[in-house]
Amino acid sequence: MARYRVETACLLAPAVLFLLLLFVVPLARLFSLAFTDEGGVFATFGVLAESEVYRRVMLNTFVVALAVTLITVLLAWPVAYALSRLKGFWFALALYGVLFPFWISVLVRTFSWMILLERNGPINRLLQGLGVTDQPLALLFNDTGVMIGMVHVLLPYAIMPLYAAMARVDRRLLLASDGLGAGLLDTFARVYFPLVLPGLLGGATFVFLLSLGFFITPALLGGANAITLSMLIASFVTDRLAWSLAAAGSLVLLLVVLALLAVAARLLPLDKGMFAR
Amino acid sequence: MRRRTFLATAAAAGAFTGLGGLRQAAHADRPFTFTSWGGALSDAEKAAFTDPFAALKGIEIVNASPTETAKIKAMVQAGAVEWDLVDVGGRTVWQGGEEGFLEPLDLAKIPNAGALEKGWVSPYGVATSTGATIMAWSTTAFPDGGPQSWAEFWDVKRFPGPRGLYKYFYYNYEAALLAAGVKREEVFPFTDEKAEMALGKIKELKPNVSVWWGAGAQPPQLLSTGELALSSAWSGRMLAAEAEGAPVGHTYKDGIAWANWWVIPKGSPNAALAHELLDFALAEEQQAKLLNLKTYGPVLGSATAGADDETRKVLVMAPDNIKDMLILNEEEANKYSRAYEEKWNQLMLG
Repeated sequence: MARYRVETACLLAPAVLFLLLLFVVPLARLFSLAFTDEGGVFATFGVLAESEVYRRVMLNTFVVALAVTLITVLLAWPVAYALSRLKGFWFALALYGVLFPFWISVLVRTFSWMILLERNGPINRLLQGLGVTDQPLALLFNDTGVMIGMVHVLLPYAIMPLYAAMARVDRRLLLASDGLGAGLLDTFARVYFPLVLPGLLGGATFVFLLSLGFFITPALLGGANAITLSMLIASFVTDRLAWSLAAAGSLVLLLVVLALLAVAARLLPLDKGMFAR
Repeated sequence: MRRRTFLATAAAAGAFTGLGGLRQAAHADRPFTFTSWGGALSDAEKAAFTDPFAALKGIEIVNASPTETAKIKAMVQAGAVEWDLVDVGGRTVWQGGEEGFLEPLDLAKIPNAGALEKGWVSPYGVATSTGATIMAWSTTAFPDGGPQSWAEFWDVKRFPGPRGLYKYFYYNYEAALLAAGVKREEVFPFTDEKAEMALGKIKELKPNVSVWWGAGAQPPQLLSTGELALSSAWSGRMLAAEAEGAPVGHTYKDGIAWANWWVIPKGSPNAALAHELLDFALAEEQQAKLLNLKTYGPVLGSATAGADDETRKVLVMAPDNIKDMLILNEEEANKYSRAYEEKWNQLMLG
């Protein structure tokens, strides 16, 4: 038993040491900056609490993250289902279709969206050509643009856990449900959906957490009027040079995320979705 | 950059701050590094200042971009100054003076600065070239020319279409007050009354502003593609875009003239050489070289004398242009930017 423990400790040591030195210590130092304001130890948090801008940006960030999560999950569902039903060549093709964009830099994909979403860009011209609108739609430099870009980047994060859950569903259970006299809706609601739920929740949590901290996409596709928390923190760093404030803002975001995750972990069977077994 | 990457970077910068004992020795094991904004300005500075200076001294100079105030502060705090001379916006000169991340200039070593207008020299930075924030438009949207004053820029009936403005209160304070009919000589010093008036004026135009731009490359690009019909823009970027045949136009009328300031990060191992290069750039011969580049103009008034009529049209400091322009007071701009940051952001979100 003791030998086993020593071996485990030795195997873990490099990874733990690496994380400790290069992640935990710098992170602690960063957060300690939050308490170094000239105005007092907790002055930065006071500034944040009193700032209407900070509250609204925080709210906007959560609203955008929630909307992105909802849209992403709705779009991911049919894709994941199709993936779970396809075989052979078509499965490989569909899987690459999902994974390929994943391998292209977020920056490149975001810039591509800028070209597509322009006032005189292909999407607006198509919509006008089809007579859907007679005026170009404002798709760029607002929350709409941010959401389109973020959903695109985050889709694979929702599709993969959903697909994993769907692929694990034993089709015989559905047949059994059918054999026992349940209709399609009943079978879906009482057999299929509960079996897929952990994958859905895992994917949704992943997408939501990533959305909260997204920077490139909101910075490029959003505008001064569509600010997210990461953009506000970046402006504390680069324009206001108020690093203690940036550290405090980051700390608050981290604490909120951890709290949400703790609540989610208690209420939802997250572990089953995140680490598909 | 996702949040985690940002945190890691910021954290790494913070971690290095603590290693006071390991501070870099005050000698350079890297080439002299000059950092600026990129684009038309960096091209001009390389051709007129840094390349000739490197040839004269027989040294290598690295021209880097983009410049970033937070990076200077981080380098100085970390005791690892990688930049020797940096082109910055005027606000940084005053921020740096207050926060102490800039080297105080030894003006005795920059005798050429004596020939400049007083407003172009400060204890922590000296202006080396001039530009302006001007009105620009898409010639597709306005083939007969765009607005000739900020009041016309605000006139959405006469000049309909989506507008672009800078994403901070900077430049917009001045533009809005001029649009409201405030006289040029009364724009500074800033007062709360004037700042509120400017905010109100911007609020009025806001429904027609679709882009709040942050990078100088944005206005010419967005005007070319038709995303914007008219926008505020940096003069050099517009001149460069027009030279390339982009369907855009501009006017210097009612423009906001400013300078590109050079500063030395505190603790630069090449501070002496940086002073020398600063002085070199202010010499009449070097300043005159900016004329041929037709983007950003000299800061030295006498250097504009040799310009032909064509060139004179694009020089901010040419008498025919500057008489219709407002000179930005950077010290005041730093004050209103800070005092009204929260209100500005509220306006943006509102």
